[in-house]
Amino acid sequence: MWSYLLRRVFQAIFTLLIITVLCFLLTRFSGDPIAQYANNPRMSAEDKAALRERLGLNAPLYVQYFKWLGLALQGDLGQSFFAKQPVSDLIVQRLPNTMILMLTAEIVTVSFALLLGIISAVKQYSFWDNAITTFSFIGFSIPIFFSALGLMLIFAVQFKEWGWPYLPTGASVWDKSDPVEYIRNLILPVTALAFVNTAGYSRFVRTSILEVLGQDYIRTARAKGLTSRTVLFKHALRNAALPLVTIVGLDIPFLLGGAIVTESVFSWPGMGRLFWEYAQRSDYPVVLGILLIISLAVVVLTIVTDVIYTFVDPRIRLS
Amino acid sequence: MKRNLFALLSLLVLASMVLAACGTPAPEATEAPAATEAPAATEAPAATEEVAACAPAGTEPIAFPDGGKSVTEAYDQEPDAVVPYFSQMTFAIWVTQLTLVGLGEWDDKGTFVPELAVEVPTAENGGVSADGLTITWKLKDCLFWSDGTPLTSADVKFTWEAIVDPANAPASRTGYDKIESIETPDDTTVVIKFAELYPPWPTLFTQGPNNSGGILPKHMLEGKTALETDPFIRQPTVGSGPFVITEWVPGDYMTLLPNPNFYKGRAVLDRVQIRFVADSAAAVAALQTGDIDIYSNFSEGDIETLKALDPDVKLTVVPGVDYEHYFFNLGRVDGVDGRGKADNEGFCPFKDIRVRKAITLGINRQAVVETLLSGYTTVPVSQWPNSGWTNTNLTVDAYDPEAAAALLDEAGYTLGADGIRVGDCNGEQVKLSFNFETTTAPIRIAIATAAQADLAKIGVEFTPIHTPAGTFFGQYVDGGPLTTGNYDMGGYTTGFYPDPYTDNYQCEAIPNAEKPDGVNWYHNCDPYLSDLMDTMLDTVDAAERKAILDEAQKYIAENYYVIPMYARGNVYGSTPRFVFGPLGPESDKNWNAELWDVTE
Repeated sequence: MWSYLLRRVFQAIFTLLIITVLCFLLTRFSGDPIAQYANNPRMSAEDKAALRERLGLNAPLYVQYFKWLGLALQGDLGQSFFAKQPVSDLIVQRLPNTMILMLTAEIVTVSFALLLGIISAVKQYSFWDNAITTFSFIGFSIPIFFSALGLMLIFAVQFKEWGWPYLPTGASVWDKSDPVEYIRNLILPVTALAFVNTAGYSRFVRTSILEVLGQDYIRTARAKGLTSRTVLFKHALRNAALPLVTIVGLDIPFLLGGAIVTESVFSWPGMGRLFWEYAQRSDYPVVLGILLIISLAVVVLTIVTDVIYTFVDPRIRLS
Repeated sequence: MKRNLFALLSLLVLASMVLAACGTPAPEATEAPAATEAPAATEAPAATEEVAACAPAGTEPIAFPDGGKSVTEAYDQEPDAVVPYFSQMTFAIWVTQLTLVGLGEWDDKGTFVPELAVEVPTAENGGVSADGLTITWKLKDCLFWSDGTPLTSADVKFTWEAIVDPANAPASRTGYDKIESIETPDDTTVVIKFAELYPPWPTLFTQGPNNSGGILPKHMLEGKTALETDPFIRQPTVGSGPFVITEWVPGDYMTLLPNPNFYKGRAVLDRVQIRFVADSAAAVAALQTGDIDIYSNFSEGDIETLKALDPDVKLTVVPGVDYEHYFFNLGRVDGVDGRGKADNEGFCPFKDIRVRKAITLGINRQAVVETLLSGYTTVPVSQWPNSGWTNTNLTVDAYDPEAAAALLDEAGYTLGADGIRVGDCNGEQVKLSFNFETTTAPIRIAIATAAQADLAKIGVEFTPIHTPAGTFFGQYVDGGPLTTGNYDMGGYTTGFYPDPYTDNYQCEAIPNAEKPDGVNWYHNCDPYLSDLMDTMLDTVDAAERKAILDEAQKYIAENYYVIPMYARGNVYGSTPRFVFGPLGPESDKNWNAELWDVTE
């Protein structure tokens, strides 16, 4: 077990190093931070050259990388080029907002996915199964910017037009300490996210339950005379949920990254928007900082999930 | 196991809520003006007496009353630093216009008018010396910062020192580095001595849509270095504009309250809030629901959408002083008379004026303006539309495909079997088929597609290439097409900022390996035009400059060096209750924010 862990940790460090190199190169080749000023008459060529020097963009690429890596290893993600604030401050400001949005959405998604997946599996090929399958494919196929804006147009704009109680578009200045306001502002973005994600998850739950329902031990349980409810919830679901746990576990680190489109559409001050705004301006330190945190979380949570798996499923041994 | 998972999830939610509670800063109280006493002590006794005679109206921003008039504006991006000189971001400059004022500004008629100054310096009033090297500004009496500290000539001098101090890293020192010294014989007199002639001196220490020169408060910043990272530069707590920032929740919104000591008196509104909204479609929906009152970052492509929302959303379009133009790469590897050598040779047929004229006449620019831009703007005659610098004797060439075809025939380009003209250029057979490069903005794609169709009719194959702005405007070492001259035709917006000072027609400004930062992206070396523009740069007298610029505009138009497409404008969407101040081409809506109002 310990040697296994040690090996995994070494692998993880190596993986992370490769990830940082790739991320660094990708961000560096994605655009020039000074280019946004190219057509800016307020900045002369000398101004731009001075800015380039000050941001350290003239050093050879590998020097810039090792400088960044050295600081990152000490926990210093550097300064944002443009916000003139430490990257860690920017992330700390946005992370809680993103966590609330994403975790709420994840909980809603998983709950609905379980519900729909179970119905679909138990009533296979029924009207409800077909209806849910259709819904899943619709949800899965619609790009989120479209469903997000659609929800906004219906529940905010149209409802207001019709004189009904309407939901906020998220663009107003609202009081974050008021729980009612918070929930009102959460509804649309959470629905938009859940709509897309429930589709995939529920298909997954359906397949997984169907597979388990065909197993011998389920037949045995039925033969023992257990009610179908007991068979489903005590025997089938527990085993069918296993792969779902893996998927949810692996999704959690990505929640940190927030949802770029949903956060942008609903003006949610989270990590997704932070990433997008700064990526557009080629503010490498911020982009790299966010990528590093997400990569770290993915790598760490993969190990944790593997370890947890041995506890959940005694058949699995780590060696 | 399932229970464990839920326990874990609930724990995470709980933890994030706690984090959120900690992470959301409580509205910051505006700092008490502790500094009020300190500067008073350093002042001359005479000044103190005068200050005592006129007292500030208050020492902190006016609190928002219950039921007060409040407006929410949406910005696409969060400003980086709100003090001018340290940010060149448009959104930052907009906030700066609300919070800091300069010595002068451009009003809705395009007139240069005083703000903190009593009058604009001229030769007649003795403000501009005979040699044009000394500019004397006279400040109004009884000016105060929002914290009640007197605003004096010392603040102007400090502003200059802060910009040129090598210990600070402003985004730009342009113009300020030409100043040799600033003297302040008394509290209201600023004598600026230039080391060399600087005709666009009105752009220094003044505010405009394209120059941000607010005066900095000496009492808040004196003795500090590395101002670019100073918290005050990011979020000034003391200002001189109609509003003061009192709260800023990162990534979310900022609140501005009226400055009691604003030189024109307190603003009409009781509060302005700026919300950071990343998506213009979401901004439209928010305007419809009234979640926001105004959004300023619409482009010409949004005009039709906004028109359809009338009367829920009010559309306001103000033609501006910039123009969208198409142009030819006229680079010559050998230069002209040894001047202006380019790295890449431009497309050979463009060297023939008849080809350039034919392409100009072959694009139906009037139709572009009427249909794609809904008739809200016009085809301009030159780079300086809607401004006092426009050469009003010039007229726009009308769309004339027959004349265009005739010109191409005359130039020896005849229709080939594939419908594209072929001709002889410098002894080589050349097909009139070339690329046109611009950015990915939807309106640019629409217009380029229209131009492509128009030009196909006269046998010219015009192939639009749309690259992201970062690549399109990329610097020389990164191989940016404009800087390296690796393009045939190009298109983007440029113009008036707010002085026609430019070197984008000078031979010496053509970018090449030795001068990668050159801004003559037309790579066009025309010695006559180049020298003409150079003369303009060395002339201080406004009338003389106008005469030179008129000649330059005429010369550029007659030579068909560029194709003026349309005058850019500001496109605003607002709720019907929002009331603007007077709007003009040289001033965006923020120049008179103190006049904003709402009708309930």
